[in-house]
Amino acid sequence: MESVLRGEKVPEIEKVSESVYLFPVRHHSPVCGFHLKRAIAAFNPDVILIEGPENADGLIPVLTDPETRTPVACYYAYRDSRGYLGEKKAAYRCYYPFLECSPELVALREAKALGIPASFMDLPYGEILLGTVEGKGVRTGEGRQTYNDDYLLSRSRYVALLCEKAEVRDFEEFWERYFEQKGLRISTEEFVRQMRTYCELSRRYSSKEELLEDGCLLRERHMANRIRKALDEGKRVLAVTGGFHTSGIEKLLKEPQKADVPHPMEAGDQEVYPMAYSMEEADALNGYASGMQSPGFYDRVWRRLQAAEQGSGTGRCGAGGDDAGRCVTGGSGADSCGAGSHGVYEETVLEYLIMVGKKARRQEESVSSYDEICAYTMAKGLAALRGKAEPGLYELRDSVRSSYVKGEVNLSTDAPLRILRELTTGDQVGVLCKGAPRPPLLTDFEETCLAFGMKLHSALEQEVTLEIFSKEKHLRMSRFFYQLDFLEIGFARRTKGADLVNRRDRSRIREVWHYKWNSQVPARLIDVSIRGGTVEEAVTNLLLKRFYEANSCAEAARLLLQGFQMGLWEEEKRLQRQFREILAGDGDFFSLSRGFSDLVMLSELQALYQIREDKELTELTRSCFQKLLQMLPSMAGIADRQMKQGMECCLMLYRTTGRRTYVGLREPLMEGFERLLEQEQVQPGLQGAVMGLLYGQNRVYEKRIRETAAGYIHGTREMMPKSAAFLRGLFFTARDYVFVSGDFLKLIDELLDRLPDETFLQLLPELRMAFGYFTPLETDRIAGQAAALHGRNKSELLRGEKVLPAVYSYGERLDHMAGKQLLESDVLPG
Amino acid sequence: MEQRKEMKPPVEVRYAEELAALAAWDTGKKPIGWKLSPRAVRMFILGSKTPIPWKDSELKIQKKYLGNDPLVERCIITLAGNRGLMLVGEPGTAKTMLSELLSAAISGTSTNTIQGTAGTTEDMIKYSWNYALLLAKGPVREALVPAPLYTGMEQGILTRFEEITRTPAEIQDSLISVLSDKILNVPELGEEGLLFAKQGFNVIGTANTRDKGVNEMSSALKRRFNFETVLPVRDVALEKQIIIQEVKNLAQENQIAMPVDEDVAELLASTYHELREGISSMGHRIDRPSAVMSTAEAVSVYYQTMMTAYYYGDSHMNLGCLVQNLVGAVQKEHKDDMEKLRSYFQTVIQDKGGKEGGIWSQYYEARKYLR
Repeated sequence: MESVLRGEKVPEIEKVSESVYLFPVRHHSPVCGFHLKRAIAAFNPDVILIEGPENADGLIPVLTDPETRTPVACYYAYRDSRGYLGEKKAAYRCYYPFLECSPELVALREAKALGIPASFMDLPYGEILLGTVEGKGVRTGEGRQTYNDDYLLSRSRYVALLCEKAEVRDFEEFWERYFEQKGLRISTEEFVRQMRTYCELSRRYSSKEELLEDGCLLRERHMANRIRKALDEGKRVLAVTGGFHTSGIEKLLKEPQKADVPHPMEAGDQEVYPMAYSMEEADALNGYASGMQSPGFYDRVWRRLQAAEQGSGTGRCGAGGDDAGRCVTGGSGADSCGAGSHGVYEETVLEYLIMVGKKARRQEESVSSYDEICAYTMAKGLAALRGKAEPGLYELRDSVRSSYVKGEVNLSTDAPLRILRELTTGDQVGVLCKGAPRPPLLTDFEETCLAFGMKLHSALEQEVTLEIFSKEKHLRMSRFFYQLDFLEIGFARRTKGADLVNRRDRSRIREVWHYKWNSQVPARLIDVSIRGGTVEEAVTNLLLKRFYEANSCAEAARLLLQGFQMGLWEEEKRLQRQFREILAGDGDFFSLSRGFSDLVMLSELQALYQIREDKELTELTRSCFQKLLQMLPSMAGIADRQMKQGMECCLMLYRTTGRRTYVGLREPLMEGFERLLEQEQVQPGLQGAVMGLLYGQNRVYEKRIRETAAGYIHGTREMMPKSAAFLRGLFFTARDYVFVSGDFLKLIDELLDRLPDETFLQLLPELRMAFGYFTPLETDRIAGQAAALHGRNKSELLRGEKVLPAVYSYGERLDHMAGKQLLESDVLPG
Repeated sequence: MEQRKEMKPPVEVRYAEELAALAAWDTGKKPIGWKLSPRAVRMFILGSKTPIPWKDSELKIQKKYLGNDPLVERCIITLAGNRGLMLVGEPGTAKTMLSELLSAAISGTSTNTIQGTAGTTEDMIKYSWNYALLLAKGPVREALVPAPLYTGMEQGILTRFEEITRTPAEIQDSLISVLSDKILNVPELGEEGLLFAKQGFNVIGTANTRDKGVNEMSSALKRRFNFETVLPVRDVALEKQIIIQEVKNLAQENQIAMPVDEDVAELLASTYHELREGISSMGHRIDRPSAVMSTAEAVSVYYQTMMTAYYYGDSHMNLGCLVQNLVGAVQKEHKDDMEKLRSYFQTVIQDKGGKEGGIWSQYYEARKYLR
């Protein structure tokens, strides 16, 4: 370290007082925890203050409870109800994760063991937010926000130069070599001195503006005030601060600072809860903000260090799940340079090489014991070449790459590297002690999961198949999953099964769900906990809220459908009056039609799920139908772009009235269609569709269809092109007409003959759509009849002109180019 | 008579002074049979930050392999161990150069090499016979003609096996038992026919990923090697630096007194980088040519243009000539590649010319040679 930093002069920092010890740390760094423990023992403080939002003080007993198992996190939420941060009055949240080796947790546990008070000393989360410029610090808004600000230690240009000088790949390798590993071989005083030198230099390369924008200066002032207050009370204070802030706080301690004035806030604007976290989320490599990468690796290093410190190195290190946990023995624990810790990295690397080999073999990768020996030799050799006392994470990665991967590194050969990545990340999921403050909703969620026998504390995705019509428990589970989905918890997703809302796969009788726990699950549950004490209560309240906000029949019916899936049918009955009001206020034919279709489906579902038929629902469905009927004539003038939707609505109404329950509505519907056709101007597509439906009911319409079609075909220049839309509508609902009505094809043939080339090309897309409704056999039949009209045989049609390959490929290129341009011009969806 | 030098002297000759200085300076622990310690080998390949003492003065060791330092470190440690080293990667990623540098630094020679081809036979790898002596004296050691593998084992030095995957699989497999047992049996020599490899022996193979499937290595052979994938340079600045350094060396060796034009080197590095990666620095998506767009090719394009300028021109790089050489380098495997290059000029180079002007505009104007 000395040699790397040579040339950089940092003035020795004067001690503010003998009663204060500012200990600089990097979050999740084992070596910082290792020396912090010694520093606490040597300094013997009366109070320990820790960098962290002070509104989490109440959670300290939970964090230090022996039943609590890491990784855990403090979850901070802030609702900007007074609009300090903008008109949106948005909600903000962030995490403060703790791993076994986090120095902050070490300090909390040590304080508890010594029986001295410990508390957090940073501004509450809400105040930090208010002191930070948008887009900076905790307000970057990218991905998950964490409280950790270790990025400050590695972002400057100084760090890039330092890495180049030290001949390492990146800051993490630099950190491991010069702090994590070398730090174990020096005294605590020397370690603190080197940390402070490094942190001071990285701070020197940050401008005051940056510090202001990140909210650093404001936070440091608050922390300095907290320390000063404890000093004024005559206490010996040990303050655990992020390395970047140590010198800033120290300078502020030398002069009295004015106290900051907190912003007035509403009750409940700021909340904090403890929550279980996972190693996967704590891994900086996964892009979850700052922290150390590969926490699983450093967790094992830490456990070995602890075992060495306690001199009980004969046992396993207990990181769980392996059988290779040999420990370093004989550490004295009291030596100033940590000699007992020598070998922990090498042992950990060896342990990982064995674990990766074993797991790779289980996945049928060819990694032999000899490969493991070669990899171990490689790791040790690389460490020696790089001037390190022991191999570390980077040598581990290098040795696996070199000795386990056979052939070129690519997707088919890099399984050992992927396994290593997984294992060094770790798969532990934290557990909170009993009695930890938590919203009742979270407890209800866990109890419900437990009652259903779900695996909650596994980082692996689980699959469950539900036979909802034959097993009552499965139906309840399905409802529970739908409830979580409605609350957007992100816990479970349906991969197979009937999708009622989108009307897909409705014939499926089984549902397959995948569920996986991650720390987002409790976080989201906490977010929605204001809506109720149980999942069902929260869902009901949210559903009611959305229902009262709904302003269209389609939206309201969809919510009813979702509620039905979630098993809230009884609650929904209370909403039917509200539904009538929505129905009365909705003047959109398409929304009403969609709502009607959903209501019909709901009625059918009642029978399927063996729920007692709800007469009120039947009434509602009829009311909706009446309204549709009433609006039907006004549909005549819909815009061309709505044609398809209009045609579909008419067909849906026709089909629905074909069912036994609604058969009485068929006649009024037909009358409605008649009234529609009586309008002065009817959109030709809709006209064709409605005529087709009427023809389906009564063949007397055959003549009328023919006359209307002939009218368009023989019409004036403006009217003739409309025949294509008319045909499309007609074939959509009654394509058999073309075969029944003898000379209809002749009429179409006439049309095609009369159309000028240019108009024909314009109509071609519409005509293609019209004939697209026919089955291949029908198309073949039509082609035969059309050929006969021109004295040809249909088999002759199949013979086309020979196309030269060059012409074909030109056509292909042209097609490709046109498609590309259409995509680029947003005409077609991507 | 004119004294002519070798076209390309071996690494140990080219860098003889550096190797001698490192040997004198080196106090590190050496694996048995090695000329230098692993740390000194690293320094020879990756260069020294500060000069080392040499003959009453100092000598700075230059960086010879640019790109991936940890890869070089892994190669060195592999060679000190029990397994062979296999360098795999795209053509033109300096695998051979790295293998030469490693051999020269570790064994003092980089010429103990098997050049793998489809016609390579086992006796070109192990040993053959001097038939006159064989007939005169019978199968004695004197009549045996050692091939590189035999030489490596006998002398305890590295054997390089170039383009191993171009060699038929059954011939490749002759390495298997030698690499694991470190014994070569010459049955004709009877009881004296066992050759035990001396410490310091190992094998460095190189294989081209474009040859994959030609003669795939058997998994038994793969197990006897540690593999290192050498990737193309991903950093344009570094690629430019490599082009400049390599062209300088070539010019010096061939006595071409012409400075390297850094702007042209940058232009070429950027062209090769963008065509290889399929995206320009301005964000254009580019169709990648199927031809190999390696840094070595870029060096060759520059050097050809340089020679044309030196012998026929005014010792200034001519972009028209550069484009013509570029065409020659790209238009090798597929007709479409020319089209891709042309459209690269029509989009990326045109935009760069419009934005930055200068040399990029001239480059764009030279597109008329894209034929």
